[in-house]
Amino acid sequence: MSAFLALVSASFRREAHHRSQMMMRIVGTLIEILARISIWHAVYAGRGAVDGISIGQMIVYALIGGTLLSSWDATMIVRDIGTTIRTGAIGSSLLRPASYPMMLMAEQLGTRLFDWLFISVPVIVIMGLIYGLQPPASLPHCLLFIGYLAVSVVIVMLTAMLVGLFSFWVFDAHSLEWFMRGLLAVLSGGLVPIWFFPGGLAEVARALPFSWITYHPMAVYLGQHDLFWSVQHLLIGLGWVAALALAVVVVWSRACRQVVVQGG
Amino acid sequence: MRETLSLLFYLVRLRVRTRLEFRASLVIAWTAQGFGYAGVFTSIWIILTRFENIGGWSWPQMALFLGFHTLGYALGACFTLVQLRGMEEIVRGGEFDMLLVRPINPWAYLVFSGFNIEYGGHILLGLGLIVWALPQVGIVWSLPSALMLFGGLISSAFITASCITVVSACALVLQRARYLFGLYFDFWELSRYPASIFAPVFQLALLTVIPLGYMAYVPVSVLLGRPVPYLGAFAPFASLAAGPLAVLAAAAFWRFCLRRYQGGGG
Repeated sequence: MSAFLALVSASFRREAHHRSQMMMRIVGTLIEILARISIWHAVYAGRGAVDGISIGQMIVYALIGGTLLSSWDATMIVRDIGTTIRTGAIGSSLLRPASYPMMLMAEQLGTRLFDWLFISVPVIVIMGLIYGLQPPASLPHCLLFIGYLAVSVVIVMLTAMLVGLFSFWVFDAHSLEWFMRGLLAVLSGGLVPIWFFPGGLAEVARALPFSWITYHPMAVYLGQHDLFWSVQHLLIGLGWVAALALAVVVVWSRACRQVVVQGG
Repeated sequence: MRETLSLLFYLVRLRVRTRLEFRASLVIAWTAQGFGYAGVFTSIWIILTRFENIGGWSWPQMALFLGFHTLGYALGACFTLVQLRGMEEIVRGGEFDMLLVRPINPWAYLVFSGFNIEYGGHILLGLGLIVWALPQVGIVWSLPSALMLFGGLISSAFITASCITVVSACALVLQRARYLFGLYFDFWELSRYPASIFAPVFQLALLTVIPLGYMAYVPVSVLLGRPVPYLGAFAPFASLAAGPLAVLAAAAFWRFCLRRYQGGGG
């Protein structure tokens, strides 16, 4: 556990060294959120609420969904795994006294925590001051949202690891990254909430684990569901976490048998 | 001049032949990238099926817009993105010093020797959307509108190549440019939507200092007969001129940075 925390801390500190990069990322995220809010302003023009969702709620969805609950990091994990395999660094990773997926999780968690603190929070504050930021529907909804946030980040990382580990067989992490990017763009509800999806597609998207990345946490934050439903779905989300973790363990153990280290 | 052109063509042929050695991987890359873009376009389609329009643009019009944007981008990026995205590593690793002593322009060498045919997915998706959308948007075809379509696409490709060149040239002076590519792509994502939905300051930025509004918004608006804020009747000419002007500006900026290049150290 101390090794895990040390890796989280090292990754956090590494991110903190690149200050100009951090400033650019804040500007970039502000632009991205501005685009999302502009889209919702444009489509809501002259409408009060659509499917019971107001423009104010959609601004919150765009703001928090595009920062704290973004699925963008997932593609970075796939890319990292691909690079580790392509460069042969996986050999030295196997020699370390900690499992590679666990190290990857710790490093990504450090990066994610840094992003939340120094990119997401400033962007939420700035855009919240400009466009207004609705608070969570109630205190219990707020507490549940924190639980959903943890489930969201773990599902993103485990999904990305699972996809990335397939690089051991297909050797083309770049393509896997694009496949995942396309999948998550729609099914996480990152840009468009699933409540606006056509019937059949909405049912499928709600059932898949990707909807716990952005859609379900935001639905809880905005109070779209009662507390019983929210707790029930948080438990389902934890079930998905367990299933994905098991899948990562199985795929990793098989992937280890694929590694052949040539000479030294 | 003739020898240089034949050398550049030879470099492209070499690169294409190398990439074609792994055909299955190439087809997977095309499919994957097409799928990645289709995911985002599906989200936009969902918005349009639920809300009917974005800032007055219907789905067929948006499909034409997205197809134009994707195709123009792919045509410019296949010559520049992958080659110049790693400019800071090229500079810091000392590889750029070696390029400077070769008897060929370093930019031309980098761009043509790294010609990337992995944009097949983008091109097929872009063409597919344009071919699907064109019969549905009621464009009255004439010589000027045909010129607008093809000239606008070339201009869009020029803008892409110019912007990527400008960002990569920063690495010659700053030795770091990768994070600037992140910023470029944030603005690039803005240009995937009609500029008219953004605040006036962003509309102006996309039509002036960051000319990504000319990648699709201005030419497609002209084709559809939609008014373009700030440009008005000047829009068709501006759309065709933006690409070549961006190329001139990028070439000047590249030379400016090259004059200040002092090596990667080490």
